[in-house]
Amino acid sequence: MTVQTLQPSVAIDHDAIAQFLYREARFADEHRYDDWEALWADEALYWVPIGEDPDPATRISYIYDNRARLASRIRQLKTGRRHSQEPASGLRRLISNIEIETRGEEIVTRSNFILVESRRGALITWAGQAEHRLRKAGGDFRISAKTVRLVNSDEPISNLAFLI
Amino acid sequence: MNAPLSATPRPIAYPSLVEDQRIHGSVYTDPAIFADEIDRIFSRGWVFLAHESEIPNPGDFVTRKLGLQSVIVTRDAAGGFHSLYNRCPHRGAVVCQAEAGHRRSLTCPYHGWTFAMDGALMGVPAPGAYEGLSAQPAGLAPIARLDSYGGFIFGSLGADGPNLTTHLGKAVEWIDQLCGLSPTGRIRLSAGWMKHKMRCNWKMIVENQVDGYHAPMVHGSLLAANETFASVRDRKDSSPTRVHDVGLGHTDIDHATDYRTTPDRLFRWTGGVPEAKLPNYVAAMRESYGEADARRRLIDGPPHSMLFPNISLAEMNIMVIQPISPTETIHYSTPVLLEGAEEMNARTMRRCEGALGPAGFLIADDAEIAELNQLGVANLEPEWILLNRGLASEVVDAEGVRTAGLMDETSQRGFWRHYRDVMSAVGGA
Ligand code: FES
Ligand SMILES: [Fe+2]
Repeated sequence: MTVQTLQPSVAIDHDAIAQFLYREARFADEHRYDDWEALWADEALYWVPIGEDPDPATRISYIYDNRARLASRIRQLKTGRRHSQEPASGLRRLISNIEIETRGEEIVTRSNFILVESRRGALITWAGQAEHRLRKAGGDFRISAKTVRLVNSDEPISNLAFLI
Repeated sequence: MNAPLSATPRPIAYPSLVEDQRIHGSVYTDPAIFADEIDRIFSRGWVFLAHESEIPNPGDFVTRKLGLQSVIVTRDAAGGFHSLYNRCPHRGAVVCQAEAGHRRSLTCPYHGWTFAMDGALMGVPAPGAYEGLSAQPAGLAPIARLDSYGGFIFGSLGADGPNLTTHLGKAVEWIDQLCGLSPTGRIRLSAGWMKHKMRCNWKMIVENQVDGYHAPMVHGSLLAANETFASVRDRKDSSPTRVHDVGLGHTDIDHATDYRTTPDRLFRWTGGVPEAKLPNYVAAMRESYGEADARRRLIDGPPHSMLFPNISLAEMNIMVIQPISPTETIHYSTPVLLEGAEEMNARTMRRCEGALGPAGFLIADDAEIAELNQLGVANLEPEWILLNRGLASEVVDAEGVRTAGLMDETSQRGFWRHYRDVMSAVGGA
């Protein structure tokens, strides 16, 4: 299904975008770190804020990774000695309520997720909204920003060393 | 031998559980000991509540835990500070659910009694029915004691005991050292707090905050993944870094003793950033303190200290360790922002996020180990935890300050020595 939007320069294929989001989720769930990192653009922001629409210049976030820090995060996970992910958590997430809009050359998606983490005898539920900013890259997409708004970002949360 | 299924005898003889060189595992697991701690340490003792910069204006408030009690810390119309139990004097509802905010007054959600920010009752709906009664409506109950040092507000639910200055002892030097990194001498804790849930006893985290022995093992993955972290300080047994027990349970890892070995380099405490990247900050420090003193401050950096019982001046971060139950703790973290040094603050924010909290490159792994530590001490043998590392080389000065090497357990011993005193004292802290 191809939909012509108000910005005629960007034709968006909803199915392809949904497939991309599912693939990103699967790579994260399966700890396929290199494959996951390869989905990102060269300039990027990976953000898990605390609270509603905070200004990251003045309010602390759980994660505020630029591209270099995101690379550090992946390198650390890949050492095999990142204790908080050794052994890796069992993860599966469901993605739904995908909404897509275009802003110039950029595709912005908002989707809801429920993620269940299995860690040392406990099942931990994570839920929230993910906002992706995507750029077309060949027949595929690259993520220039991902914001994960946890429903409980104001509450104490347990280790978030996996990729959310 | 442990008697695994029998409870610890009451009253608890703490000197028999907390020895000079070893600690009994039950102090991390026993609910009766936890209840004692909440009473003696976290209720009757002094506990950090908030920083003045979190409630800068009249009408500002935050809600905090003091032990297991919810209290509201407010600033009244005249700018004065108050700490009030979060319980309506009418029928007991929680008055304030918000974590932080700004109000003209506080109104109870149940029947609408309204209180001024100092806790005084301002009004009740339909007041006539109280006429002629001896028990008249009253305001929110203040906690017994409130005091502050360097902008750090502390509270105590107990009316008696040492004052805040006595409680802090030599730890005030660390507060001064931290505030002295600002050209104005003032810090701001205005960025909000990360809240990190850990399935471990609160003391696991206290001990870890000033443990110089674990970094190569627990943080090896970061040292391997990010060279900046690896190069700024010496993490070997031979490191010039010293640990101190300055008394009253206050301890630190003094990285300045390492940084001073390279007097040509400022800022090793913030990733070894070149001086040229923070020109305005360096200039402001020179302006305030003069060339030599500014230089000394910027070489030494902030303290890495643990103040009894639960607040850590953790370099450019403040970390607070909140007990929830014997096996649950919340670790709060916020970056230390320096007044008059915005250039530095942007950097501090991003470094705090990188290192701390549930996703942090450092603390996520400390949390993991603390949880393993908690699971481990639930196993019964061997029943003692060893704390004698470096004891033979510990140096005690004329004022009783104990000093040893980076990887020695002097800091943990310092915590436990005071813990034992407080838990054994007649009448509490
Ligand atoms: S319980 Fe608060 S007004 Fe009644
Ligand atoms: Fe650590």
